[in-house]
Amino acid sequence: MAALKHKEKINTSQILWLDLGEFDSLNTKKDPQGKWQDHGLGLLRTILHQNEIFTDIASTRSVSSWEELSPRLEGYKILLMNVRSYTFPIASGASRLFKQLNPNGLVIVGGMHATVALDEMEAVETFDKICKGAGENIIIDLVSNPELFPRIIDGQGAKSLAEWPMIDRSLWPQPSNRRASRRMDWPMEPACGWGPGPAATIITSRVCPWQCSFCNESSFIPKMGRRPVDMVIDELNYLDDKYGIGSVVIHDSMFFQNPKWLEEWLEKYPKRANKLWPYWAAGRADTVRQWPELFEALVLETNWNTVSIGFESGSDRILKVLNKECTEEDNLFTIDLVNRLGDKMKSQGRKPVSFWTNIIVGVPGETREDAFKTMRMVKQIKRGKPSIAYYAPYPGSILGYQLIAESKSLMTKDNYHRDPGVEKVKGVDYPFYRELLAGKYDHEIQPGKPKLRSFLEAIGL
Amino acid sequence: MSSFSNYHRLYLFSLKNGKKKLAYGENPQDALDILSYRLSDAEMAEIEREDFMMIKQRDLQDYIHLLG
Repeated sequence: MAALKHKEKINTSQILWLDLGEFDSLNTKKDPQGKWQDHGLGLLRTILHQNEIFTDIASTRSVSSWEELSPRLEGYKILLMNVRSYTFPIASGASRLFKQLNPNGLVIVGGMHATVALDEMEAVETFDKICKGAGENIIIDLVSNPELFPRIIDGQGAKSLAEWPMIDRSLWPQPSNRRASRRMDWPMEPACGWGPGPAATIITSRVCPWQCSFCNESSFIPKMGRRPVDMVIDELNYLDDKYGIGSVVIHDSMFFQNPKWLEEWLEKYPKRANKLWPYWAAGRADTVRQWPELFEALVLETNWNTVSIGFESGSDRILKVLNKECTEEDNLFTIDLVNRLGDKMKSQGRKPVSFWTNIIVGVPGETREDAFKTMRMVKQIKRGKPSIAYYAPYPGSILGYQLIAESKSLMTKDNYHRDPGVEKVKGVDYPFYRELLAGKYDHEIQPGKPKLRSFLEAIGL
Repeated sequence: MSSFSNYHRLYLFSLKNGKKKLAYGENPQDALDILSYRLSDAEMAEIEREDFMMIKQRDLQDYIHLLG
């Protein structure tokens, strides 16, 4: 107990949820995105509590070490964890520690990694029950009577997001001290540069139906009906009344899809929301090009202030390897449109819309000229920040599975990190990319334009 | 507007060593062309170009153990 700094640990339940992430990341000032909360954990814990199955919560993100985590795991019968690929190593470690402290305890795990890399989950002996797929319609039975289930369980999800209860955000883990809680606006989330805090992260749809070969999430997440517009606005108004909202992050994998829903959002959000909060949401270059009037209206009339587009590459060759099903032309159309909209808003005295763009470099097969074309495309963006990362062959994606099978992946099950600047694939000329991002080839990209050094700093190289 | 006009399909090609290789494309030849962007000539020569099947992304998990 000596390791607990701020409060005595009191077990109120025999069931413990363990939130997973980097040690101490909820407590520190830096890395606001590392403080984002786990909607899966929030949803499942809300369902349990609404059915009077009460759980305690601990987080690897609110402690600084295994030693500090240890007393928080002691004295429970069940440990629950939602495991993603990048939290798989820490989940494995936590399950072993839990078993040492509670030899008769049961570890129940689920989450994305159970679906995309079941073999790796099965190999962890301290995972007693492994739930593949969605868990919202099985969690109550599973936690109430785990002995009735086999080790590997097929989860059961809802058919529509409309069936999900509103997440009780006070069930999310909090930092270890009040100062850090205030700083991150708990139980809301901190501003991360996309708009003022407190930030409300919400989900209106699940699963992007496109088939990008670096993601392929629709291969392992069943499609679900989108949440009704009124329900989304009601939740935002409720959160605003209770905690206050500065900005909204719509965490859908793909917000700009389903024009009928978007048209209803366009009509109702400006009228019914307590305030026209600026929001971050994701689209695709080809959908923007397909429905430019709808896109423009959403930006101008609903305060879609940060447009996240995964341009990925400025080269058609690499867009094909990634099966992005967008073209160089689609990307340049979207950049031009957002630049012009930003200029128009600025001339009206409004804060101009900006981009949050995902760029992937180091894709197998990428030539130097492909990479130069990508950097030329990035330089066309007038407002916004490119998020540049080396391609990562995650299991679950078609290209990831294929590279793993070809023994070309440098990622291992003990190291599914998200560090954007770490080498991840054999045969990729990483020294070239480091030099490219340092500005060595600026004369080849676009003579006379600003250097790319800022990108290098942005990705920590 | 490529996903609206040039929809890609997922192909599973047989390899000479008995394994399989996944590739997207508008048609099998396009999928092979895209594979050639990242594979060496020796790796491409291992592909049985006429021995392929089209699979659905939803069924991907059923084929992972066959990949090489």
